[in-house]
Amino acid sequence: MSQGHDAHATSHEAGAVHSHRGAYIRLGVILTIVTAIELALPFLKDYPEIWNPIKPVWAPLLVVMSIAKFGAVVAEFMHLRGDRRVYQFLFMSPLLLAVVLFPAVGALSVVTFRPFGEGYASTAIDVRSGYVAPTKGPALEAPLADEKFVLAFNEAKGKNFEAGKKIFGEKCVSCHGKAGEGVANLGFNLTDNCYKYGSTFKDLYLTVAKGQNGGKMPAWSASMKGEEMRQVVYYIKSLKGSNAAGGQPCVGDQVAD
Amino acid sequence: MSAELAHADDVALSHDAGHESDHDHGHPATVENNFLGLPNIKLAMWAFLGSECMFFGSLIGTYFFYHGKSLAGPLPQDVFSIGITSISTFLLLMSSLTMALAVDAMKLGNKNSARNFLLVTALLGATFVGFQVYEFSHFVHMGLGLSTSLFSSTFYVMTGFHGGHVTIGVIWLTMLALLIHQGKLNTQRLPVSVEVAGLYWHFVDIVWIVIFTFVYLLEFIQ
Ligand code: HEC
Repeated sequence: MSQGHDAHATSHEAGAVHSHRGAYIRLGVILTIVTAIELALPFLKDYPEIWNPIKPVWAPLLVVMSIAKFGAVVAEFMHLRGDRRVYQFLFMSPLLLAVVLFPAVGALSVVTFRPFGEGYASTAIDVRSGYVAPTKGPALEAPLADEKFVLAFNEAKGKNFEAGKKIFGEKCVSCHGKAGEGVANLGFNLTDNCYKYGSTFKDLYLTVAKGQNGGKMPAWSASMKGEEMRQVVYYIKSLKGSNAAGGQPCVGDQVAD
Repeated sequence: MSAELAHADDVALSHDAGHESDHDHGHPATVENNFLGLPNIKLAMWAFLGSECMFFGSLIGTYFFYHGKSLAGPLPQDVFSIGITSISTFLLLMSSLTMALAVDAMKLGNKNSARNFLLVTALLGATFVGFQVYEFSHFVHMGLGLSTSLFSSTFYVMTGFHGGHVTIGVIWLTMLALLIHQGKLNTQRLPVSVEVAGLYWHFVDIVWIVIFTFVYLLEFIQ
């Protein structure tokens, strides 16, 4: 757009002023086109022949287009290109710092985040519930720390809780109903916000693993792997508050979490 | 010109255009160029925008830091509406164009046209804020309060601060247009006054360019 002819501050020298109107409008049109591409292209999803080659590069392409728009506005509309060095320095150095620093901190935290899943001592004592894993029979895998549960929950959510749903269908529907609505005299409603033994991941995991009320709710730790129990926990956690039709009445307390 | 200038300088506000920096008026109210020979207010605005990079960088960084770690719904994909956000994004982008045209007109000394472009810019900005108010109330309606989840907190704080910036910009530009209309500003410093307001406005726009792509569009990439 504007050339370097006005480098070093024409704008501060009366007399040498000229209009950039044409260049500005041209840039406005280009920005509009880029934005239109950003929004319109995903509609091509309905045409796999066209969309399939674009798909793998679409995310990077979006990033590139965003950076290009950003750069164009700064360089032309804000006129930083060809303006004084001191302005460029004042703006670009913190910008670069921000662009490098924040992703770096984010990346570091991912690296130092302990990989979740397995790796908990099987005889661990759960400090919060005071639960000690049984020494007889297969050792009960201790529940995960909360934030790992959350991450794994979101991962399971991404897969529509398929694994947990399947297990629930095999092992739990007989007492808790097809949608988790509960069965009179057999199992509680799992779709309300009412829980007798708590609804945090840890609570649910322990309920499933070691059973409740003298085995009326059976313990599953002997017949299910830790990961299987977790998957079913993610699934029943997702049922919370869904209030399936024909739900059994509340036994326990209303919980927020 | 110098007669008008000298007269206007008597009622001058504290921001000087710097155009006449090497003039002989000795009184401090008009000597606004710094030792670099640049208008102080423009230098200050660039320094401020530099700090704003860190400010919004931390807000956007925090959003992504906690992305996907929310325990309670609704999640971003449940609430975002790309259609509506695209419209407001486009309006903000166009407001950058009208802002640039206002600065351009002012440099050419075309006050009326500058005033009109400023008003259009402010109107587009106000519409953007209106969309955001609608979006927020819609989200709250869907059960997404400020403290519902990590997503809601980081999202509201990030976009809320951006919307606050837009709001301040709208007020600023409207005031500027009004003052230009009333002829209350020093003609000599007007171009820089408008230019500096423009820098702020464009910055608010580029922050949204980043948020729109990274927060909204990339959310729907599988
Ligand atoms: C034999 C029937 C039966 C089966 C099978 C069964 N449950 Fe239960 N479940 C119960 C009963 C009964 C209770 C209520 C215990 C009580 O009376 O306190 C219960 C309670 C629960 C609770 C606690 C709810 C609350 O309010 O705190 C959860 C969670 C639960 N079951 C999950 C499961 C899961 C997951 C499965 C499948 C792996 C399952 N149950 C299989 C009978 C069963």
